[in-house]
Amino acid sequence: MYKRSLALLLVCLMILTLAFSGCSKPATETGSEAGGETAAPADEVIKVGWMGSLTGDQAVWGQCEFDTVKMLFEEINAKGGVLGGKKLEAIGYDTKGDPQEAVNVAKRLTGQDKVVAIIGPNASGNAIPIAPVLEEAKVPDIATVATNPKVTVLDGKVKPFNFRVCFIDPYQGAVAAGYAYDVLKFTKAAILYDVADDYSQGLTEFFEEFFKAKGGTVVAKEAFKFGDVDFRPQLSKIKDAGPEVLFLPVFFKEAALIANQARELGITVPLMGGDGLPSEQLFTMAKDAVQGTYIVNHVDYDDPEVQDLKTRYRNKYGKELELNGYLAHDAVVLLIDAIERAGSADPVKITEALETADVQGVTGRIKIGKDTHNPEGKEAAIVKIEGDKYVFQQKYSAQLD
Amino acid sequence: MSQFLQQLINGLSIGSVYALMAVGYSLVYSIMNFSNFAHGGVIMLGAYFGYYYLTAAGLPFPVAFIVAALTTCLLAVIIERGAYKPLRERKAPFLYFIISAMGTSIFLENMVIATIGPTFRTYPEILSRTPIQIGSVSVGRLDLTMFIISAICLALLVFFIDHTKMGKAIQATAYNIKASALMGINTDLVIIVVFALGGFFAGIAGVLFGMKYTVYPQIGIITNKSFIAAVFGGLGSLPGAVIGSILLGIIETITSGYFSSQYRDLIAFVLLIAVLVFRPSGLMGKVTEDKA
Repeated sequence: MYKRSLALLLVCLMILTLAFSGCSKPATETGSEAGGETAAPADEVIKVGWMGSLTGDQAVWGQCEFDTVKMLFEEINAKGGVLGGKKLEAIGYDTKGDPQEAVNVAKRLTGQDKVVAIIGPNASGNAIPIAPVLEEAKVPDIATVATNPKVTVLDGKVKPFNFRVCFIDPYQGAVAAGYAYDVLKFTKAAILYDVADDYSQGLTEFFEEFFKAKGGTVVAKEAFKFGDVDFRPQLSKIKDAGPEVLFLPVFFKEAALIANQARELGITVPLMGGDGLPSEQLFTMAKDAVQGTYIVNHVDYDDPEVQDLKTRYRNKYGKELELNGYLAHDAVVLLIDAIERAGSADPVKITEALETADVQGVTGRIKIGKDTHNPEGKEAAIVKIEGDKYVFQQKYSAQLD
Repeated sequence: MSQFLQQLINGLSIGSVYALMAVGYSLVYSIMNFSNFAHGGVIMLGAYFGYYYLTAAGLPFPVAFIVAALTTCLLAVIIERGAYKPLRERKAPFLYFIISAMGTSIFLENMVIATIGPTFRTYPEILSRTPIQIGSVSVGRLDLTMFIISAICLALLVFFIDHTKMGKAIQATAYNIKASALMGINTDLVIIVVFALGGFFAGIAGVLFGMKYTVYPQIGIITNKSFIAAVFGGLGSLPGAVIGSILLGIIETITSGYFSSQYRDLIAFVLLIAVLVFRPSGLMGKVTEDKA
């Protein structure tokens, strides 16, 4: 009996240690961040929350977002802060890409850290479930790259505390469909999407709807499940259907694997994707296979307007700025504007100011619509992969009814 | 017809990867009667070892491949000594072993995230990505290599189990660990050898896997499928693990090729459950009452 309980104790201890070693990492990370900046008296510090993936598939993006926010806050603080001298402090936690964890993080930020606003998360699946927490705490959230319509509007009603700086999936799907049909003159498209992902499903639905409405046909629509690494069964079927373009409403890891496997199977048609594709990682994983791919993106990387931000980020972190960094930048711009116009760091007043915001970000003009909390009429940038560059093709906007 | 052949080849190549991983589960299960869920973590580390031996250490591919497999071999033995032996000595129920294995698996994944980082690593291109064309069917060079390496390894394993003294000791221990110990077999050594073999296969699977699908901390998740394949084939039976894996690979590809890729897992697993309802010990599992 004694031995058995000892073994049980041992196992429990081990699991506990694991659980803590798993969670404590992001906390210490922020701890040191917070520690560096809490020199100013408490009432002169404005705490802003950030949430996103610091581990898992999308950690590359999450890390970049958080780094961008921290960099911008440092810059703003160095220039004298906001509201005539108050310093900004970023407190960030890892959502691990898990909706449940996102809710916990939102509770922690609003309840324990008492932040005035939250920036992030980037994933729609994580941004949707935090709405009730925000409403209860009356703290606004500005999502960065969460493109699903339900992030800000549910059943035709706008969620009072959810905002975003990116365009939405129907728009993105419509842009992709319109560009493929009208500009590239493709009439037969195939789709390979993630059946277990909100983003992927949304994009697929709207691409299909708009492509068909224009007169095109979707010759193959195949699915996979998050975590899959082999797509050849689906691709073999797609190859047989003979599409002119393969639409991939997925993230870069899957896109890279799919591209490699498609080329191996002899599928030579161009690929097309949404804002889940652009990443420096795409090139390390599948540089040759993704040549000629068209991407509906939030930002034109060669735009003179964005060069300054890119350089500042590279100088500070020695890495290239990922797509998420641009939108995190615009979220910060939007928030600072709202705080200044509200004339106070009160979350409700900031929310009111956000509703009438109209600022110029690096990804375009962000004019928040009162009924949607989305940036209205934001143009998409179509880029094409050539070599290891995203070559800007044109700005494109689609008509949504 | 060419579509069918292509899907069959896809299925075989996916199945042979499952098989390499499934034998690791089956080997350990046959002796210790528990599912070693840390196997996925060892495979993941195998992929990382292979990657660093190739890139940072600059070893030629065959050397890096073998050294990576030997490293995971050692690692698997260390895991056995650290996470399972203490439980074994205390005669803990098998549930505790599974919990300890899951803990180890989570530990390994988080250790890699914390030390190496969560981003992807891509193996240098060792084999050309241009496939071999046979008529209208294309076979990837990497797939063919993987299939051949898997086949050789599995054949060597079967030879080892059937024709060496240690192999016979493993069989005896699998049959009855207490009786074997009474007959003078060093069962502790047998367990070490079994974990070493499992670790070796995990290393090979990891490197092949990394070459094909890139390396990242969550790569071990894929072992879920191979574990299911091992159960389907009959946990504890090596031929069962191989046949179960190949069948699962083919069922998956045929389902997505001819029915629906949306319902692939649904159909494939309903089929597997149906098999298990009629043969609860799997296709080739030992039918024994006490080993549940």
